[in-house]
Amino acid sequence: MAAAPVTTTPPDEPARGLVQGAGSAALAVSQAIGAMGLLASRIFSRIAKLELDRDELVRNLYRMGFQSMPIVIVTALFTGGIMVVQAAPLVNRIGAHGLLGWAAGFGTLREIAPLLTALMINGRVGANNTAELGTMVVTEQIDAMRVLAIDPVSFLVAPRFIAITATLFISTVFADVLALLGASMMGDALLGVAPVTFYNGLTSGLLGVGDIASGLVKSVLFGVLIGLSSCQFGLGVTGGAPGVGRAVNATVVASAAGVFVIDYFVSFTL
Amino acid sequence: MTPSLPTSSAESLMPARERGFVEDLGAVGLELLRTGRELYSLFLRTIYYSLRGRREPGALGQAMFEIGNRSLFFLTVVMGFIGMIMVYQGGAQTKRVLPDLTLLGATYLELLIRDLAASIGALMLATRVGAGIAAEIGSMVVTEQVDALRMCAADPVDYLVKPRFIACIVMMTVLGIWSATVAYLTGMLTAYVWFDVSPLTFSNLALVDVVDLGTGLAKCIAYGAAIPVVSGHAGLATFGGSEGVGSATTRAVVNSSLAVIMLNLLISATSFVLFG
Repeated sequence: MAAAPVTTTPPDEPARGLVQGAGSAALAVSQAIGAMGLLASRIFSRIAKLELDRDELVRNLYRMGFQSMPIVIVTALFTGGIMVVQAAPLVNRIGAHGLLGWAAGFGTLREIAPLLTALMINGRVGANNTAELGTMVVTEQIDAMRVLAIDPVSFLVAPRFIAITATLFISTVFADVLALLGASMMGDALLGVAPVTFYNGLTSGLLGVGDIASGLVKSVLFGVLIGLSSCQFGLGVTGGAPGVGRAVNATVVASAAGVFVIDYFVSFTL
Repeated sequence: MTPSLPTSSAESLMPARERGFVEDLGAVGLELLRTGRELYSLFLRTIYYSLRGRREPGALGQAMFEIGNRSLFFLTVVMGFIGMIMVYQGGAQTKRVLPDLTLLGATYLELLIRDLAASIGALMLATRVGAGIAAEIGSMVVTEQVDALRMCAADPVDYLVKPRFIACIVMMTVLGIWSATVAYLTGMLTAYVWFDVSPLTFSNLALVDVVDLGTGLAKCIAYGAAIPVVSGHAGLATFGGSEGVGSATTRAVVNSSLAVIMLNLLISATSFVLFG
C-alpha cells in the first residue's frame, strides 16, 4: 500500500514467490502474536501491582465507553431489526410467530450482538487508540516519558487496555438489550407479532442464562484482543503520518480477523 | 459526534461542558445534516466522473488489485470461520425445537445468499478497504498532494475517489460471491462433522429463488458504492498531521460500517415487503 506516490515501492517488496510470501506472512503473524503476549505480560504485571494512572483510566473510560454509546445504540437497534427481517421468511414458513423471540434471541445474544459490537468498537476505539499511541510514538512523546522516568505501560497502555475491555463488556450488555428491543419493534411493524408475544418467545425456556453468558464471555475476550492489538500496533509505528495510517489499517484488520477466530473457538467450547 | 482528539496533555481531561443538552442535540443534528449533504454531493460527483471522467485503466486496475486481490485472504479466513460458527450455532439451536436437520442446509443457503455473504463480507471490506482508502487519501491531504492536484486543475474526486468507487463496486460483487462459496463449503463440512448431515442433503437450493439472489446482489452493489464514498469523504476531510490521519481512518471505518448496517436493514426490509 504505497501511501504516497513519491515513495515508490517499500523496500521489502522484491518479486516474491508464493512459498516465500506464505512464509513471511506466517513469520509476521507469529511476531505480532509474540509481541502481544509480551505486552500482555507487562500490562498484567502492572495491573497486579496496581501501578495504574487513575486519571488516565477515568479519562479513557469516558472517551472510549461513554462516547461510543451512540454508535452502539444505533448498531444494536438496526441489528435487531435485521435479525427479524432475516428470520421472518423462516417464521412465516413454519407459521410459528411465537418462536420469533427465540429465533431472533439466540442469534442476537450468542453471536450477533457481541460480534457487531466488537467490530464497531474495533473500528472506533481500537483504531483511535492505535492512532493516538502511534502519534505519540512518532512525535517522540513516549521517549520523553521514559526520559522523565514515567513508565509508559502503567501510565498509557494499562489504563487503555482496561478501558477497552470494560467498554466492550458494557457495550455488549447494552447491545443485547437494545438489539432485542429493535427486534421486537421490527417484529411488530413487519410481521405483526406483538411485543408481548416476542417477549414470551424469549423467555419460554428455550433460552437460558448460558446463552447470555456465552455472549458476554466472548465480549471480554474480544476486548482483551482489541486492547492488546491496538496498543501493540500503536507502539510499533514507524515513519510519520503515513506510518500512523498504515498502523491503524493493520490493527483494524488484525483485530477483526482475530475476533472471528476467537468467536469460533469460544462457540465450540461453550 | 465531533471527533475531537485530545492529545495526551493532562488538562484536556474532559471536553468543556458549558453547552446545554438541547444545544448539543442541535449541534449533532446539524453535523449529521452537513455530513449527509457532503456525502450526497461527493456521491453525485463520483457518479458524474465515472460516466464522464477520464478513462484510466491503469489506476482502475491498481485499485481493483488493492481492493479485491489484497482482501481475498482476509475475507476467506473470516468467511470460513463465519460459515462454521453459523452452521454450528444454528444446528445446535434448531435441534432443541425441531428433531430433523434436513432443511438446515437449505435454510442456511438461503440466508447466506440473501444476507450473510454480502453483509459480513461488506463489513469486513468496510474495515479493511475503508481504513485503507481513508489512510491513503488522508496521507495525501496531509502531505498536500491533494492541494497539488487541485493546483493542476485536476479534481481529486476524479483522480482519487472515482477509480476506487468503480473498483469497489466490481470487487464487492465478486468478493460477495466468493464469500458465499467459502462460507457454504465450511458450513457443509461443519454440518457433516457435527450433525451428520450429508453434503448432498446440505446442498439443497430449493429455498433459494430469484428474489434472494437479487437481494444479495443488490446489497453487494449498494455496499460497494457506499464504502468508497464514505471513506473517501473521511479521507478528503482530513486535517492536522498524523493525528488527523488516524482520526480520519477511524471515522471511515465506523461510518462505512454504519452505512453497511443501515443499507442492510433498508434493502432487506424493502425486499421482504415487496416480494414477501
